[in-house]
Amino acid sequence: MATAIIETTSLTRNYGDICALKPLDLQVPEGEWLSVMGHSGSGKSTLMNLVGGLDRPSAGSLQVGGKDLLALTEDGLARFRREFVGIIFQQHHLVPYLSAVENVMMAQYFHSVPDEAEARLALERVGLGHRLKNRPGELSGGEQQRVCIARAIINSPKLLLGDEPTGNLDHKSTVMVMDLLKELRDEERFTIIMVTHNQEVAAWGDRTIYLDDGVLVREERMNS
Amino acid sequence: MVAIKLIPHILSWVGIVLILLRGFPERKRVVAVAVGAGFALGVAGTFFLFRSFPGDFSFSLIRDVVGGSFLLLWGIAVASIYRSTVRNFPLSWGERFFASIFFAGVGAFMSGMIAGAISVCRLGTSGGMLMLLILVLVACVLVFESLAIERLLPPSFTVSNSALMAGVVALLLFSSSSILRLDLFSPLSMKVMKFTHDFVHQFFESMLIPDHLFIHIHLWRYIGLLFGKEVGFWGGLIIWFAPAILIALAISFERLPSVAHIRQGAQRRTVVATAIRARRFRLVVPGITILVLAGAGYQSRFPAVEYWDPKPIVISAGPSGEIVIPLKGEVDLKDGKLHKYLFSQGGKEARFFVLMTPTGQLTVDLDACAICKPDGYGQTEGTVLCYYCKTLIPLETVGKPGGCNPVPIHFTEKKDGVYIDGLTLINTWSTTVQTTARVKEGSK
Ligand SMILES: Nc1ncnc2c1ncn2[C@@H]1O[C@H](COP(=O)(O)OP(=O)(O)OP(=O)(O)O)[C@@H](O)[C@H]1O
Ligand SMILES: [Mg+2]
Repeated sequence: MATAIIETTSLTRNYGDICALKPLDLQVPEGEWLSVMGHSGSGKSTLMNLVGGLDRPSAGSLQVGGKDLLALTEDGLARFRREFVGIIFQQHHLVPYLSAVENVMMAQYFHSVPDEAEARLALERVGLGHRLKNRPGELSGGEQQRVCIARAIINSPKLLLGDEPTGNLDHKSTVMVMDLLKELRDEERFTIIMVTHNQEVAAWGDRTIYLDDGVLVREERMNS
Repeated sequence: MVAIKLIPHILSWVGIVLILLRGFPERKRVVAVAVGAGFALGVAGTFFLFRSFPGDFSFSLIRDVVGGSFLLLWGIAVASIYRSTVRNFPLSWGERFFASIFFAGVGAFMSGMIAGAISVCRLGTSGGMLMLLILVLVACVLVFESLAIERLLPPSFTVSNSALMAGVVALLLFSSSSILRLDLFSPLSMKVMKFTHDFVHQFFESMLIPDHLFIHIHLWRYIGLLFGKEVGFWGGLIIWFAPAILIALAISFERLPSVAHIRQGAQRRTVVATAIRARRFRLVVPGITILVLAGAGYQSRFPAVEYWDPKPIVISAGPSGEIVIPLKGEVDLKDGKLHKYLFSQGGKEARFFVLMTPTGQLTVDLDACAICKPDGYGQTEGTVLCYYCKTLIPLETVGKPGGCNPVPIHFTEKKDGVYIDGLTLINTWSTTVQTTARVKEGSK
């Protein structure tokens, strides 16, 4: 069995009185594709934010890629996000007045230095070679989400987080995006954690966990 | 009082030690010992130098050493800009030399020695051995402090060899520029001015351009601009700052490492970004160097010396047209100090001074020389100083004509006082000031 890229013990997150994530023990082996399901408000996004270094836990321990996220300073955490994690959201969060290729270059810039040729290649790889200069507003939802994928993987993250990336897409676009992710994952061997409400989407992964009111209630291994 | 005097020197000492420590990160201990030992030896050596050769010789020797290091910096700057832009000549032996313990040790030792010598020039030797011993002790304590401070500097802050040299030399210049007789900036701008002056003259002569009235009246206005103090000042500034600027440019032109072999884009970009960041950090010292040089240039305009600069006493001639200044009146003319007078007659004025030279001779001179704008003279230990060109004229030679010496005036010394012919005085002043005004200021 591969080493765990994520390891949590009694990971907890409270928002005041609300306990969004009850003490959670979770291990994700390197290279796994983990789907996360659960009702609205069950703490899925909370978990993703903690694992991605966007938020800090209230209690418990959290190791990602051998790093103790609780011990990191703000700078260290920013660096961790920059170099280790790629994130795709339901809302695309693209800069509306920049073209697709510039949006990807922006991620390069925050990571190190921009490299247009490489950004173009990344967009060609997600099948957008013909729409490099278009702004997000001129792209379809599926295309926007593919720009987001290009942006998320441009810095070669070890961990790709998706928070309902296909939530706004129709069936055809969803299949397209998921196939693309699968293809990229098989090439680059990154670990994926993906939140979804869609059983069919979850089936792309290796394993699915179910959260309910901040508690891991069930887990299911896919057999594909 | 002594401590205040030493502030610029202490600041530059700490700066020099810090830059040296960062410049040789693997040899900190050697550098610390060498720089401290150099300082001690510099102090002791200068002490004995002043004992053996009191006066100008010692000062000019130390000034030449500082000037030599500036010339060396010029060489390094030109080489480094050439290397980073034109051709990257192989310097593996040179780099091995720069990295050697020998270079670190000798470099630090020399820097310490010059810094020590400059500090003694500032302190003077009158305080005796004890004072100098304290100075060395303070310097050594500061070396230890710098070792601690250096550890607090961010690790990404590195110093390249050329920047190391630039920083140390600039700090030495900063330290020396507050001492009138070690200052290099004023003589430099003076040299530049003299050079342009001579150049234009030679040019006119070699081109056989006649001294026609047209040229005199119309062209001189523009040519005169070349003789202004500004030319010397700006020319001096360029020579002053160029090495540091060249070194900064050389660093910013440095090639980035080749990354074509790295397949993963993110990794490739990380290498590039790291190199750019490191290069930016290496620019910090040249940047500071430019500021320090600016500070040195500024200081040299206000050297920390107490002048004897009396206000001219207004005086007039008797009915015979003769000025009589009593030997022992309000002032004692023979006290060895500069006594300035302002004489006016018929709407014309002349400024002059009376001084007894160390050889015991009275001399009467214009408060102006034959070549500079008549800004006048001040007196410092053993010399008078031309305010305009900052040339120091030993008191022994005051009363002799030539160069920037004050223009001597004929006088007769009688029992009761000094007798000067008013008309001659006014005429000499007018002709002197007219020529210098034309040459220096154009036809204003
Ligand atoms: N910043 C916050 N401040 C206070 N409460 C919050 C905050 N963020 C989330 N919560 C609460 O924590 C709980 C879990 O929220 P979370 O966003 O993790 O749910 P989710 O599973 O992602 O839901 P959805 O499927 O609707 O996105 C919710 O009750 C929510 O109201
Ligand atoms: Mg959510």
